[in-house]
Amino acid sequence: MAHTIVTEGLMDQAFIQERCDWDEFQEYAEFVSQDRHSPEATELLTGVPAAELRAAARLFATGGNGAIYYGLGVTEHSQGSTTVMGIANLAMLTGNIGREGVGVNPLRGQNNVQGSCDMGSFPHELPGYRHVKLPEVRAIFENAWGVEIDPEPGLRIPNMLDAAVDGTFKALYCQGEDILQSDPDTKHVAAGLAAMECVIVHDLFLNETANYAHVFLPGSTFLEKDGTFTNAERRINRVRRVMAPRNGFADWEITQMLANAMGANWTYTHPSEIMAEIAATTPGFANVTYDLLEERGSVQWPCNDNSPDGTPLMHVDGFVRGKGRFIITEYVATDERTGPRFPLLLTTGRILSQYNVGAQTRRTDNVVWHDQDVLEIHPHDAENRGVNDGDFIKLASRSGETTLRAKITDRVSPGVVYTTFHHPDTQANVITTDYSDWATNCPEYKVTAVQVSPSNGPTEWQEDYNAQAERSRRILPAAE
Amino acid sequence: MKDFIIPWDDDRDLGTPAAHGEPVTLTIDGFEVTVPAGTSVMRAAALADIQVPKLCASDNLEAFGSCRLCVVEIEGRRGTPASCTTPVAPGMVVHTQSSKVRKIRKGVMELYISDHPLDCLTCSANGDCELQDMAGAVGLRDVRYEAPQGGELANHYAVRNTSGEANPEWQCKDDSNPYFTYDPSKCIVCNRCVRACEEVQGTFALTIEGRGFDSRVSPGGPLDNFLTSDCVSCGACVQACPTATLQEKSVIELGTPSKSVVTTCAYCGVGCSFKAEMQGDELVRMVPFKNGQANRGHSCVKGRFAYGYATHNDRILNPMIRDTIDEPWREVSWQEALDFTANKLRGIQEKYGRKSTGVITSSRCTNEETFLVQKLTRAVFGNNNTDTCARVCHSPTGYGLGQTFGTSAGTQNFDSVEHTDVVIVIGANPTDGHPVFASRLKKRLRAGAT
Repeated sequence: MAHTIVTEGLMDQAFIQERCDWDEFQEYAEFVSQDRHSPEATELLTGVPAAELRAAARLFATGGNGAIYYGLGVTEHSQGSTTVMGIANLAMLTGNIGREGVGVNPLRGQNNVQGSCDMGSFPHELPGYRHVKLPEVRAIFENAWGVEIDPEPGLRIPNMLDAAVDGTFKALYCQGEDILQSDPDTKHVAAGLAAMECVIVHDLFLNETANYAHVFLPGSTFLEKDGTFTNAERRINRVRRVMAPRNGFADWEITQMLANAMGANWTYTHPSEIMAEIAATTPGFANVTYDLLEERGSVQWPCNDNSPDGTPLMHVDGFVRGKGRFIITEYVATDERTGPRFPLLLTTGRILSQYNVGAQTRRTDNVVWHDQDVLEIHPHDAENRGVNDGDFIKLASRSGETTLRAKITDRVSPGVVYTTFHHPDTQANVITTDYSDWATNCPEYKVTAVQVSPSNGPTEWQEDYNAQAERSRRILPAAE
Repeated sequence: MKDFIIPWDDDRDLGTPAAHGEPVTLTIDGFEVTVPAGTSVMRAAALADIQVPKLCASDNLEAFGSCRLCVVEIEGRRGTPASCTTPVAPGMVVHTQSSKVRKIRKGVMELYISDHPLDCLTCSANGDCELQDMAGAVGLRDVRYEAPQGGELANHYAVRNTSGEANPEWQCKDDSNPYFTYDPSKCIVCNRCVRACEEVQGTFALTIEGRGFDSRVSPGGPLDNFLTSDCVSCGACVQACPTATLQEKSVIELGTPSKSVVTTCAYCGVGCSFKAEMQGDELVRMVPFKNGQANRGHSCVKGRFAYGYATHNDRILNPMIRDTIDEPWREVSWQEALDFTANKLRGIQEKYGRKSTGVITSSRCTNEETFLVQKLTRAVFGNNNTDTCARVCHSPTGYGLGQTFGTSAGTQNFDSVEHTDVVIVIGANPTDGHPVFASRLKKRLRAGAT
């Protein structure tokens, strides 16, 4: 699309000149103008008709306010970061940034995935996306916490698991996430967890990860605690306690008790005090208080002295980084390939009535709409393999294999199969591989080469896993 | 014009949607009111705290003008126009409570009630029924309609007529949906559910079948019920229903709620605001909060209905420990669990070094909780081994937008979609993954965006 817009002169030159780095734009324009990026050239690779792609590009460039919304079908690929930058380039190229009706909008998966990123969950960043190697940033937290902070970035999840297998990473505190079911290449995750000496799972249910845990700390639901969630539009919304925690404590209290058991001296009595610490240390949250949220209902960060009412639209008078930066998006190939052994491409997703690993929705009446994961397969591919609608089939990749029932549908193209990952019996992530985004290690869930064949029951792995899970979930009655 | 800036916690139903024109001043029942041009007389009155009786109007739906309860008199105009479909005009003088309109309203209510079961005391909507409220508001004291001499009074609510034969107009209750029931015998055919399905949700699963007295709400074809229909169970119809026709099963079981608390849904990244409606510490139902700035009063099946996991028997309520994963779990006190954990972690750090431990924070927990977990690893464990599930979903967004724009987050609010002309959706299936945003997007597409 950028090729069409640049070569046909449809870009918003005034916007680019005023708001973006002009030299970088010119390099970028030269790059996308190359013939190999024309819709006619890409059609040969992608199958998207050139005429339609050109029409879409023209419409986006000239049709008024243009907005881009995207999800995990962009990010969960080997070239996820490249595609995101391509999207950002396209928005800058057409001047679709900085006012109502336009913009680049990632549709966030979880209630607080934005917030958990903002709060410094990453091994290289302190809260507010500031690198741990910066002494001035560490100093803020060192003063607030009275400790010395390690200037070396820590381990990402896949590195933790690798290090565990290597014997150098020994203990993990995992709060409210089921990495065994949700992370790619289940066998590798299981091997990593099994190699640790202390796995602490803090959750509502004995999830799949808890099968490898030594400590289970019962968690509380959103109905049982006070706090805030930040949604996909950076909106900080209040969560209010409507009932007492059935497990006795809100999750922040449990983390505090664990810290204090290890010798810390934390004394928070309400989440509003934690928010005060966040505001004091994190510039984008500087003016956020529970009183403000009570008064306003919610507020979108950044919320500080520059924008005391919060920020509904970003980059209105200029980009946060100054000049918008066009980045050359060289083609990144996916290493995962189909071949004679695994001729089909598997992609995964979720459906309306279930949510992610299903720990919550599987425990509601929503199961009437979706009581098992099925493999959607095109009639041609099914016929070639002698698979009928509703048959048990074996789904195999170079990582592993599982069984589930087939659903024959032309919703998927020939050569592509699709399933959801809501049910632990299926373990769709036994199949997915360890390939990931080049910049961030975000796993390539959306592309796995697979084969489908008729089957008459669960695989050995599924049976072993279920037996292990059953053994692991035994609970002795409490000693009086 | 500050008189129509509505505080965020005021969730009155003003009858018709907000308009955005230039200020217009009119007089309603002797009070001067200034509202944007395009506002209905009904909404203008409501903003001045004057409630015009209504049944088919709701401010999340376009005015429909079918119930005939909201009629008013306007000086210089003939007849009694419906206030929901009449826009304000400068200098207009409106009377909402003349004897003429009172008489009309009472007559209309009498007709409604003549075809409605009078089982209010045992009805699940008792105390939370707009039909009941309106009967009160118009002062209905008597229903004079009687069966013709020797004949039967046609109605939809009697299972059998007086001679014991099956009433052909009666339809049985549809309880196929796990979360709500549809009881046609209580339906007043106000169309709110059908319009909510179209205008708010954008699914078009409901329709009105038949004409005149035979009109009934129907989920698709004659053999369909709610479960087999195209219904996505968002609950907008249930919320729109002014009677017990569409009713949450939880309300049928538990009764009407006695208090509510505004909170935020814990499923997807849309972050819908809800009123958790309670009886004591029991959750009766979740109702999307009208002034929720992300969802504007809408919800999906998960946020509205799928909260049962919170009290599911599978929930673990006591801490548990074990030495190896081959052993069964032992339930222990919090103190024992925390001491056990702290000892293990300290021992591991002494033996393998401080970098041998780490944390994974949750994208499901609150900001405050996540902040404490990363603080735990940085300030107590003494390392930076913290990561989160964003690693496996949107970490490329953080990197890509950080590099190009300088900040890693989305650039807009959800309201922004109302000003969009061209939308590109890439690698996302919003109707399944982010249903409430998808409804807003589809609404904009129906209004002409491409």
